[in-house]
Amino acid sequence: MSERDKDVMQPAPVQPGDRALSVFSRYPSALLLLVVFGVEVGVGMFVIRDLRAASVEAQQMYARSVLGLRQIGELQYQAQETRRSTLYALTTNDSNLQVAYADQSREADRRVTEGITAYLQQARMPNEIEVGRGLQRDWFSYLKVRDEVLASILEGSTKEAVDMDLSGGVPSFERVRQDLEEIKRLYDVQASEQLARVSASSRRSIVRLVGVLCFTLIFATFSVWAIQKSRMIGAVQLAKLQMDFVASISHELRTPLAVIRSAAENIADGVVEGKDQLAKYGSMIRNQSRQMTDLVNQILLFVSTRERKSHYIFQPLQVSEIVNSAVENTAELAREAGFVVEQHVEPDLPHVMGDRSALSRCVQNLVGNAIKYSAQARWVCIRAFREKAGHHSHGEIVISVQDRGIGIDKSDLLHIFEPFYRSPAVRDAQIHGTGLGLPLARSIAEAMGGKLTVESRLGAGSVFALHLPSAKEKDRPVAASSLGRDAVARK
Amino acid sequence: MQRCLGRLVIIGMAVSGLLGVCNHSARAGGAPPNEQDSPEGNLAIVVNTSNPVDTLSLPELRKVFLGERSHWPNGRRITLVMMEPGQPERRALIREVCQMNESDFSRHFLHGVFTGEVFVSPKTLASPVGVRKFVFNVPGAIGYVRASEVDSSVKVIRVDGRLPADKEYGLRIGPPAAH
Repeated sequence: MSERDKDVMQPAPVQPGDRALSVFSRYPSALLLLVVFGVEVGVGMFVIRDLRAASVEAQQMYARSVLGLRQIGELQYQAQETRRSTLYALTTNDSNLQVAYADQSREADRRVTEGITAYLQQARMPNEIEVGRGLQRDWFSYLKVRDEVLASILEGSTKEAVDMDLSGGVPSFERVRQDLEEIKRLYDVQASEQLARVSASSRRSIVRLVGVLCFTLIFATFSVWAIQKSRMIGAVQLAKLQMDFVASISHELRTPLAVIRSAAENIADGVVEGKDQLAKYGSMIRNQSRQMTDLVNQILLFVSTRERKSHYIFQPLQVSEIVNSAVENTAELAREAGFVVEQHVEPDLPHVMGDRSALSRCVQNLVGNAIKYSAQARWVCIRAFREKAGHHSHGEIVISVQDRGIGIDKSDLLHIFEPFYRSPAVRDAQIHGTGLGLPLARSIAEAMGGKLTVESRLGAGSVFALHLPSAKEKDRPVAASSLGRDAVARK
Repeated sequence: MQRCLGRLVIIGMAVSGLLGVCNHSARAGGAPPNEQDSPEGNLAIVVNTSNPVDTLSLPELRKVFLGERSHWPNGRRITLVMMEPGQPERRALIREVCQMNESDFSRHFLHGVFTGEVFVSPKTLASPVGVRKFVFNVPGAIGYVRASEVDSSVKVIRVDGRLPADKEYGLRIGPPAAH
């Protein structure tokens, strides 16, 4: 086969997508539950995350706004206390009382100064820092005036103290009051912003929750619908395939039965005369009944592989044994159809592990198909060789069956291994079959630890390749005489 | 009236001098050392920490405490801070600095305010803590406390170049009036 042909011909191994579809069609409810569970877990994680974020936001809002407002309230009180105590000193001439009031004023101003410092340490935003610094500046400015007023009161210069307070103390204290109001306003703004963020976060959570629940509902509904539809389509297809199968089997059985019946009637009616004629009719009846037996055996074998009831006897086999057995069993068919069957078995091939009759049946099916679909090109070639780039560590043997027949369309390549599948082209061509040969060959190949691949081009022919792992060194027979006795495994 | 006042002043000075002699003789007579003899028992003259004055001679101090000086060199008005009558610190100041007794001192201010010769009248505080706080609050204030009562809120000034901890420091609180 040329390189160009290889490029054009499409290999059709088992597709991962096909496997996924197969799994999905087998366990649709479990997968649906899994998906819904996954979605619900995802939604739960989202909701928990949002709730946590909202909780943190609320805590921060409390810490920054509520506690901040309380601190500012305390600052306002202490600032008023500073001024109030200073003015109380004006109400007495007793120096001892005046000193006591001065003490109270200084204690209050110390608390205010500490509060402003704490505010500046907590401030993060530029406007907070700016307002805090302004407050600190105005507060120190007021304290300067307050100190002078206190000194004047203690000196006994009451009028001077009052004048000083009115001209300097009142305006500077008013600035302090305005600064504190500005800080309160900032806290209010921040609290409003944080409240808006918490509300937005809550809204976002609700929208996400509702959105994902809607999605889950729609997805679940769609999935149930799809599963039901898939099952319905599958059931319809299966019924159609079974009908086709019954029709095919009936046809396959009717032809030999008709021959047998006709031969039997001729014998019974005494039409057949002479020993030679009788032997000819006997041979005809035997061949037709063998064909029917083969057909029935194939159906039974397929059913048993589908139900996983097949019992294979694994033993080391020579590749030539398998090929020869298949050729012998199909020799009559090939001869009758006028086919040339070529064999090219590489010498000194290692043994393969497998069931003799199953592998022979597999190769027979491939050879039978090659003969059936070869049309005018009456040539089949069987090759057996060692595959160096195989998937198995201890080597791989390939038995390929090539024909120059009608080939397989690309669209059919995906389905030829499905049970009962028959392409529209072969139906139209009135080529009879059950649609079980290739599925059976493939399940045998897989049961032997190998695989079955195909390369084909429409109108040019096909190559089916059976890949088998070669037997391990310890499993290979020491002498040829021991072949067949060393069954090493039973499946 | 003036003659009467003059006689009273003379009598007061005589009594004061007599008391001073008695005090001096009591100290010189080998009395056992007590708290008053230790540096902590000396009388510290304290001013506001912003006051630029660090030292005063005894005559200058006398003029200040007798109200004969009204302002500090920085222009601040001088405010005298005294403790209540009967306190040993007050007696010591009147005796050692003003070289008077209580009645002379009172009379001096009464007379000075009346005649306009005295510019300031002293503020009276009940405790050394009150004196300290007053001086702390008033930049032009000057007062006195026991040396052991001094803290960083006020500044101690030197008298004749000496601090209360110095041996030759002249302002001692001395024995109570009953002695």
